[in-house]
Formats: sequence, structure tokens, C-alpha cells
Amino acid sequence: MRLITHWLITVIWCIAVLISNPDQSLAAFGEDVEKPKPEFIKGTDKISAKLIPRGKSTTVTIDFECSDGKLVDVKAMDFGLAERPEVDRKNFKSELFTIEIGDVPKDKEITVSISSDFFSSSTQFYVFNEKLSTPWIKDVAQNVVQTGRIRSLLIHVTDGGPFDSDGAVNGTIFLVGGPFDSFWGYALGTLFIRFFGIFLVLGFLMCGMMLSGAFFQYLDKKQPSEKPIAMEQESTQKPEELIKEGVDSQTAAAIAVALHLHFQEQHRSSQVNLSSGGISNWIVQGRSRMMASRSISVQRIK
Amino acid sequence: MTWAQVLELIKSILITQTGIPHLAVNQLIMICIAFFFLYLAVVKEYEPLLLVPIGFGIFIVNFPLTPLMGFSEHGTPELIRFFYKYGVEWEIIPCVIFLGLGAMTDFGPLIANPKTLIVGAGAQLGVFITYIGTLLCGFTLKEAASVGIIGGADGPTTIYLTAKLAPQLLGANALAAYSYMAMVPLIQPPIMRLLTTKEQRKIKMRQLRFVSKKEKILFPLIAATLIVLLIPAVAPLMGMFMFGNFMRECGVVKRLSDTAQNALMNIVTIFLGLSVGATMKAEVFLNVKPLLIFGFGLFDFVVCTAGGILTVHVMNLFLKEKMNPLIGSAGVSAVPMSARVSHSEGLKNDPDNWLIMHAMGPNLAGVIGSAAAAGMFIAMFQ
Repeated sequence: MRLITHWLITVIWCIAVLISNPDQSLAAFGEDVEKPKPEFIKGTDKISAKLIPRGKSTTVTIDFECSDGKLVDVKAMDFGLAERPEVDRKNFKSELFTIEIGDVPKDKEITVSISSDFFSSSTQFYVFNEKLSTPWIKDVAQNVVQTGRIRSLLIHVTDGGPFDSDGAVNGTIFLVGGPFDSFWGYALGTLFIRFFGIFLVLGFLMCGMMLSGAFFQYLDKKQPSEKPIAMEQESTQKPEELIKEGVDSQTAAAIAVALHLHFQEQHRSSQVNLSSGGISNWIVQGRSRMMASRSISVQRIK
Repeated sequence: MTWAQVLELIKSILITQTGIPHLAVNQLIMICIAFFFLYLAVVKEYEPLLLVPIGFGIFIVNFPLTPLMGFSEHGTPELIRFFYKYGVEWEIIPCVIFLGLGAMTDFGPLIANPKTLIVGAGAQLGVFITYIGTLLCGFTLKEAASVGIIGGADGPTTIYLTAKLAPQLLGANALAAYSYMAMVPLIQPPIMRLLTTKEQRKIKMRQLRFVSKKEKILFPLIAATLIVLLIPAVAPLMGMFMFGNFMRECGVVKRLSDTAQNALMNIVTIFLGLSVGATMKAEVFLNVKPLLIFGFGLFDFVVCTAGGILTVHVMNLFLKEKMNPLIGSAGVSAVPMSARVSHSEGLKNDPDNWLIMHAMGPNLAGVIGSAAAAGMFIAMFQ
């Protein structure tokens, strides 16, 4: 019944949302909330872009270099301008870039290098050239390992070639495109790894606890074997024999008090319900002990 | 001053200094939603400790021109924004709550039966399945992770992860997490009955072994070492959780442990609830995403419950001493609610079958499991 009420409220809420705010209510979808906003730092022979990519919380650096000619500028390009049904922007984690290379030697192929430790072995580079019949040219880069975890995407371009957006042989190349990583490949791959990772972590913890448990159980077993010497001095009789013989009232009372004190010690942190109706002797005894211990601690503080 | 000037002044005051002319339909809807959550908390007693401050936060922040969640002209945060900025945005409050939870937790049942840790891991199944579902619905990776963690049934973990990855969903996620945690006794039993036979529900488990004080003292140190070594991203949550537990078990800092369990916990709960509630302004909250989050939250809880039970079934294939699959549902970390549900379902089938202590093991494992899942997600986005 409660669940039905809850769902009823949700449906009412849904209708209220759509009535009150029909335009905005669906606006949450399709909005690029993670749009990377790169900041460019110009060096002598390279330009670096610092940005927080889609699906990441930390900043990454992407370096742009070229083998010949002069790297004039690198700018960010809004994906909206290159949006086509055949590509999904989710696959472009680090935004699209417009790379401008000047002083390009005639008829010479130059290599543009885009490097980052953010790229993986599956990272590709997609080029966009709206002058072509199929504007998106897929997987045009060579993915190579540099030092450490840094990988480079190498793209070979010629002035006026299919990768040059201005399409003219004018000594300047405009290369438009972005690093491509399969969104679903990453999402599902990492998901399985992480789900089994939880089993692994808790499995390790389980093994650690089993080992420590076995160790402590071993210690506990060892301890009582040393103690009984003192116990035997007090009484050589086994409990079963005592029960057979019968226990006098004083011994029974002493055992009961001992048990009570033992359990009271164990549960002394639990709350005492002082407002309960039937007050037994045990409660009265407990209360008086608690008050006595409080007065002692108050005296100590004073 | 002429009458016309007086009237103009009154009009100007009414427009610029009172909220009445600015009250919009959206805000009225949000105030009604606030009343609904206050009703659930006060009348139905659903998670009142959290839903009262959350409900009141929604209520108070949705009046127009209120200087509560914005910034002053000088850039100083306004009252609740201040709590939010330093408590939630800086990720302090969820960690302090974990400290209190650690100080309240007795890990005895988990230490006595460490196998139940695997059940806690299995019960995170829903977190990952919901993650895929939310991605299919157009959520971003970070949003999907923050919605997925709702099924872990751990309020502070949900808030911690959402504040870190998708702060725009904080209100909806927190509300969904706490609402469904309150509804665990309604959501879980049908799934438990569906996935178990009568004979399986009657399985009696051997009484748990005695756990010594030394073991309890060492547990937070061992657990923190292993978990933080494997998932460093979860250190703020797990570190505080295990620190709280260590204070409790070591027995030499009773005053600190009591403060963490009571005064400190209550203080941060007030600030957390108010801050989370105050994020739910009409312009942010009234769209389809929160509704989807509520839908996915329920689905998440269902799959997590099923995941825990199925994990016990799989474990039973290999175990000599079978486990009662009803304790699997306690793998979602709504402590101790889901353990109680396992116990009561067990009693319905066999009045002599006391499962509560056995169910506490997976229940505590669920807390660790959901924190581990949160750590996995945080690490994924680093």
C-alpha cells in the first residue's frame, strides 16, 4: 500500500512537472553538461591544451606538435558544428580541435603529433571536413607509445588533402578533429572490471579475517589450558557433579549474582529504560550501582 | 510626499522586497513536495532523522528571494549555502557520518562469519546494472555512477559520491536513497519469497562463534589496511568508518566514541539534511531526471536484493554448511533494517529460526561493499 502511494505521488509529480515546466522538464537531456573547456598554453614548438575530459574529474594535458611547417594555433571547436548522425559526441571525451599549421612545404606530407597520458591503446583520431561528401573520416591516426604512459596519435596530412579543411594548396593546413574513445566500450569494460573488483577486495578482506580469526581462536584455545590450575585449586569437582549433588541456596545466589554482574558489565553501555512499568529487583540493583558509579566519577571530576 | 509617491513606494517595496509577487507555480509545487516528505517523516516515521531536515530544507529554500542558498554581493555564501559549501561540497559531513557509524557498529557478526563479505559484494549487482540503465537513458558517466550507488542503500555514501561526481543530482539522489531505505521492509520481502523455496527459507545456521575483544580491536586496522591499499580512493570514507570503530572497540576513549555516536552524529545530520534539502530548488529539481532517478532507485534496490540472495545460492553450491538465502537480502547496507527483514521473513517460515545475527554479517559487509563500489567509481573518473 505504501509503495503504491509512493508511486502514485511520483506519477502526480511527473504530471505536475510537465504541466508547470514543459520546456525545461526535458531540457536536462541532450544538454552537454560535461562539455570540456580547454585552456591552451603556447610553447616554442608545441601547444598544450589543459582540460577536464568527459567522464573524468581530473585535468589532463594534450600536446600538439608538427614535424614540418609551423604550428600556428590550436583552438577548441564546438561539437555542435560537426554533429552528424554517424557520430556521437559521447565518444569524443576531450572535445574537437582546430589545428592550424602554417609554412607548409608544397607537396610534402607532414606529421601532426597529438600526445597525452590520457590516451589509451584504443584511442583513435577522427577528422572532420565538411567539404567532403562524408565529412567524418574515421580512425586516421597511428597510435604509438611514447615514454612512460604517454601515447601519441600521429596523423599524416598534406596541404589541400582530404584532412585539410580549407581544401586549398595555400601553405596552410586546417586539421579539424578529435580523439575518439568508444563510450560504450569503456563504460561496459570498466564496469565489469570494477564489479569483480569489489569481489576481489572483499575476498581479500575475507581471507585476512579468516586468517586473523584462526589465529585468535588458536590463542583462545591455548589460554584456558594454562588457567585451570588455579581453578582446580578452588574446586576439584566438575559442574555436572555439582548439579547431581544439588546446590545450596547461597551458592545458587552467588552464581546468579556473578552471572548478573558479568552480563551487566557487557551491556552497561546500552540504554536503560527508566520509565518502564514493572520494576524488578534486578533493575533496582542495577540503578543503584549506576548511580553509585556516577557519583564516584563526579567526585573524581570535581 | 504625495499619495502617488506613497503608492509607488509601497508598490516598489512589494515588488522588490517581498516574495509574494515572485512566487511561481514551480515553487508552490516544490513546497507541496516538501510537505509530502515532512508528512512521510512525521506521520509515517519514514527515516525521520533525515527526512525532517531534508523536507524542511526543500520547504524553506523554495520561497522567492530567500537569502539561503546563494552568495551575497561580496561572494560570501548565504546561511545554508555555507553549510553546503563546507559540509557537502568539501565532502566533510558524509565522512563525519561514517565516523559516527563506525563508532556505532559492532562488527562481531561479520568477524565471526567472514564468508558473508562475499554476500555484501554480490549485493552490489544492482549498482552496476542501474549504471548501465541510466547510461542508456542519456545520463552522463558520472551521473550514472551517482544514481547507481543508490542501490547500495547507504545514505552517506550516496551523498559523498554524488557531491563528488554529479552535485546537480544531489537532492534527488539523497531523497531517493533515504526514501527507499525507509521502504526496505516493503520492497524486499516479495523478492525474497520469489527467489527462495520454503525449504531454503527454513535452513538453520550454526550459532556464530564468540569474537574476542582483541579481534574486534584489530578488525578496523586490518580492514582499513586491506581496503585502503586496494582502493585508495575510498580512504576518506573507510578511514573514518574504521577510525570510529577503533575508538569504540579499543575502550580507552569512551568519551570520544560517545560523542561520535551521539552529539557529533546529530549535529552533522542536521546540517546534512538541511543542505541536501536546500539543493532542491524548483528550477533545478523540476525536470524529468529526478523522476527517472526515483524509478532507477527502486529498480536498483530490487536488483541489489536479488544479487545478495543469488550470491548466497551460488555460495551454497560450494559450502558444506548451507547458508539461509534470506540473509542475502541483508547485503544491501540499510543497517539494521534489512537484517531485521531477513530475520522476520525467517521467523514466518520457522518460528525457531533466529537469523538476526547471521543477517548482520552481510548487512555490515554491504556497508563496506557499497563504500568499495563508491571508491571504484571515484577511481574510475580520476
